[in-house]
This record gives sequence, C-alpha cells and structure tokens, in this order.
Amino acid sequence: MPRPVCRRLPCSTVFAFCIQPFTFFILRDYSRYETVIGLEIHLQLSTQSKAFCGDAIRFGADPNTQVSPVSLGLPGVLPRLNERQVEYAVRLGLALGSEINLCNTFDRKNYFYADLPKGYQITQDRSPICIGGGLDIRVGDGEVKRVRIHHIHMEEDAGKSIHDAHDDHSLIDLNRAGTPLLEIVSEPDLRSAEEVDAYMSAMRRLARYLEISDGNMQEGSMRCDCNVSVRLKGETRLGQRCEIKNLNSMRYARRAIEFETRRQIDLLESGERVAQQTLNFDPATGATSPLRDKEDAHDYRYFPEPDLLPVTLSADYVQSIKANMPALPWEMYQELVTTYGLAENEAAILSEEKAAALFYKELCRFSSNNKTAANLLVQKYLPWCDENNRQPDEGPLSPEQLADFVRLIDEGKVAHAAAYQFIFPALIDQPQKTPLSIAQELNLIQNADSDFLDRLTDEVIADFPDKVTEYRSGKKGLLGFFMGEVMKRSKGKAEPKTTSGMLSKKLEA
Amino acid sequence: MVITENLVLKLEQLTRLELSPEEREHILEDLNKILGMVDQLNGLDTQGVEPLTYLNDEPIVLRPDEVQGEIDREAALSNAPDADGVHFRTPKVIE
Repeated sequence: MPRPVCRRLPCSTVFAFCIQPFTFFILRDYSRYETVIGLEIHLQLSTQSKAFCGDAIRFGADPNTQVSPVSLGLPGVLPRLNERQVEYAVRLGLALGSEINLCNTFDRKNYFYADLPKGYQITQDRSPICIGGGLDIRVGDGEVKRVRIHHIHMEEDAGKSIHDAHDDHSLIDLNRAGTPLLEIVSEPDLRSAEEVDAYMSAMRRLARYLEISDGNMQEGSMRCDCNVSVRLKGETRLGQRCEIKNLNSMRYARRAIEFETRRQIDLLESGERVAQQTLNFDPATGATSPLRDKEDAHDYRYFPEPDLLPVTLSADYVQSIKANMPALPWEMYQELVTTYGLAENEAAILSEEKAAALFYKELCRFSSNNKTAANLLVQKYLPWCDENNRQPDEGPLSPEQLADFVRLIDEGKVAHAAAYQFIFPALIDQPQKTPLSIAQELNLIQNADSDFLDRLTDEVIADFPDKVTEYRSGKKGLLGFFMGEVMKRSKGKAEPKTTSGMLSKKLEA
Repeated sequence: MVITENLVLKLEQLTRLELSPEEREHILEDLNKILGMVDQLNGLDTQGVEPLTYLNDEPIVLRPDEVQGEIDREAALSNAPDADGVHFRTPKVIE
C-alpha cells in the first residue's frame, strides 16, 4: 500500500531543480535515453459496502461515520469477503484478456501506520485473481500499442491521515479503511508520460464501461504508483528503477515522470548511479524526493491470511460473468465507425463515455442522418452537458427532440450555422417547444421556393455585369461571391443547394 | 535461524515498539525458544507432502454486497486513547 509519508524537500533537490535549465542546454543530450515505465493502478471499486465488512463507502461522508469493529481493527473480529469484489475483478480480467485464477488466497502485508488500525493490509501476494492480459492504447499519431498486464490482485484501502489540520497531532479518518481495491500491475511497457496518460485514460474508460469503478481521480478512486527507469536507446536491459508513490492526477503523473526521467539521466551522465528508492512527488515544487529512509526499507513480512479461506471459483461462475459482460469501449468505438459510419475522431469522442455513446445510439433510432446527429452531439450537446455537469440522458433535450433538430438541418429547412447558433440555445432554454416552432419564431426557415430564388438570382446577376464577365472568362471561384450576395439579400434564408444550382446554371448560360 | 539483538531491534522498529534492555533480553530468549521448538519440524521428512496452509477445508462463504453492521462515531471513538470527537488523534507522524 502507498504510504503518504510527507517530507520537506531537501535543499539539494531544490538546488538541482534550479540549475537544470543550464545543464540541459550545456551538457546533456537527453534524447539518447529512453524512459521505461511500469504502472501500478489502484482502483477503488464502486460497491455498496467494504471488502471485508458491511460499512458503506460513500465518498464525502462525515469522518469516522462509515466504520465498524472490523474496519477499526478491534480484537476478535473476522473479515468476510464481499462477493462483488470478486465479481468485479473477474469482469476486469475478462475484459483485459487475463487468465482468471480459480483458486484465490489472501495474505497479510504487515506495516505499522496510524491509518491501518489492524497493522496489516489484506491483499493477494501469492495468487492474484487475474494473470496476464493487456490493454491497447493509442499513441502519437494514432498508432495502437499494447500494454501488457502482469497481474491484478484484490486488496483493501487504508484510512486517511490528515496532517495539516493540527500543529502537533495527525487526525485519522477510517471511513476509507477497508474499501475494496483492485491493484492493476502493468509490465514496463510504457515509454513516456504521454503513454502513461493514454494508458490511465484507457483504464479509466474501461472501468467506467464495466461499471466497476467511477475512476474519479479527484476523489481518489483511481491512483497510481509509477516505476520509472531510464536506459540508453538500444539497450535491452532495464535500468535501476525508482517508484513514485501515490499520484492522484494525470497531470501530476506526467510532471513527476518528466522530472524523474531528467533526474535519473543527470545522475547517469555525471557518472553516478541511480539508487532504488521510493519517491514522493511534491506538486508544489514539481520535484520527486525520497519517501523512506534506507533503514526503514519496507519489510512487509507477508504471510497467508489465516482468517480467510481460499476462494475457489468455478468455470461456470467465470462463464456467467463473461456471458453478462457490458459493452467494451473498443467495441463501442468500432461499432460507431463501421455500423454508424462515423469518422474516427468523432467515434473516439462519442465512445469516451458509455452514457454519451448510448445516448447517441438512441438518437440515431429517431434520426435520419447519423453524421449530422454525431456532429450535433460532439459540437453542441455534449459540451453543454459537460459545462452543466449533467449526463446526456439527464439533460433537458430528449433523443427525439435532437432527432427533430437534425431533421431540420438535414432537410435544408434551416442553415446549419443558424441552427447551431440560434436554435440550439433557444431550444435548451425552452425545451418544451419543437425545433421547428423555434425556427419559425426566429424566422430562420430557409426558402427553397423557386420563384423567390429565381427573382433573387436574376437580380444579383443583373447588378454585377463585370463579375459575370469575369466568371464566364474562367474565374469560377466567383460563384462564392454571387452566393454571398444572394444570402445577404435573402437575410440568410435562401436554401443554399438550390440557390447554388440555379446560380451556376444561369452564369454558364 | 537465531534471533540476535540486532534482529530484535529491527523488529522493534517495524512494530514501533520500544523495549527496555531487560524486556529485550527476555524477548530474545523467548523468541529463540519458540524458533527452537518450531525447528524440530525440520527433522521430519516432508518430501512429497503438500504444504498445509489452511486447517479447514470448508468452502468460504462470501458476503452479499450490502451495508450492514456499522457503528456510530461516538462508539467508534470511545476506545481511542485520543480523539477530538470527530477524528482519532495520533502524535504527528509527518516530519
């Protein structure tokens, strides 16, 4: 378990941090090195109750109100494993293509800390529930890279220590103690902070699709430890690694890795060696610093947890979870590209959140045009939901209404730009109205009436004889000029397709 | 394996216990006796015998995911050596 022991930054680190810009320019060729990163992600599961007892795990509850004799570590109590923790672990393992271990045992990891009242964390040291597997991420220019998973094990979270509220005391809140966690350990397959970001995002998206965790990093539902080492490009052996503990935002992870990469290269370039260390990242200084003293080096004295019998899973049990797997993010993405005909970037945005993708599919049931519908969600509706902190299906507009909106544009009744600029905000304000009635009220219905357009185009052609001559002598780009004039005179209501057809016919004549 | 004074000091550090020299002497003796007793097992031939980790081979019964058995904060804090009515209090553990 990550231990948040904070330390003041040693002066030498501050100094090193300050002189780095100079060393960068004068001495170092950082590009000769590559960074090798492996990640341990801690994922809090969105169960109702804790891993080994029935306390609630609602985030933000008053301190020490979600506790029981088990989570307080009182003598004489016994842990009872939450069946949903096992189910969620298997669900994640199946999604990642891991081998599911059918005979699970638990172990005690012993360490002394105030927010771990029983003096040990229950974890799986010998026989983790998922072995192997991998997760594909998109890197750089859209290339797909597979990040291999080493294993996933079940464990429990510790409580929370508050160090800054009081001068000579630390305060302990045990609400979080015993929250079910999965620790997802990757192979050292990541090569940059960007790849770490992509991997974390992909894992978060997967957890949310699987509905096993909200993946909320601000609330600590997803945190990571990064194992970072560097080596010269072309070298196949791994360098000495350092572990940066407890990174609870992607931005911190990125900054910590960038700092640590440079620190290790600087050490190697000045002829020193990287010492294996556990590091803390301080967001205020952007620097990493050693978390533990050497003599305090962790010695967890693992041994089998005698209070929990082995958990044997049947093949039928695993099969039943497989049969009820929710849609996976990459399946959703593929469906949007192949079945719905969307461009890759639109499909990526719409499949980012399951709720958005499902809402889009619902919209398409009513809508005449998948692409216009996708554009409407990506450009207007989802950003609005984001800003107003709503899920798409909790917003003011139903899929049917949005489908009406799409139809208005698609049938050429309203210009695309006018619909987005004027009708959309009006519809959000007055969701009881139909898009059509708003278009009528705002006088935005386009006119495709041939008499009306005939008269307008004739007028424009008559008013600019010079331009007509230029057009006829080959300056076809002037069609845009004539279109603009018609639009101006119709106050934007001339239906563009018919108008443009009519104009070119008359100009060619 | 023999327990030395250094090992006892390390165990003290890991468990955050502080023993007096007399207590340390006593513990050293006890631990060595315990290890000596357990060491008799090494005299047995365990070739081909599966390690026995769990004495009970009943299947484990899992708990349904339901909120149950919480106690209120007052009760939770009542045994604490130090508390402020909301949190447990400990000496400051950060430097």
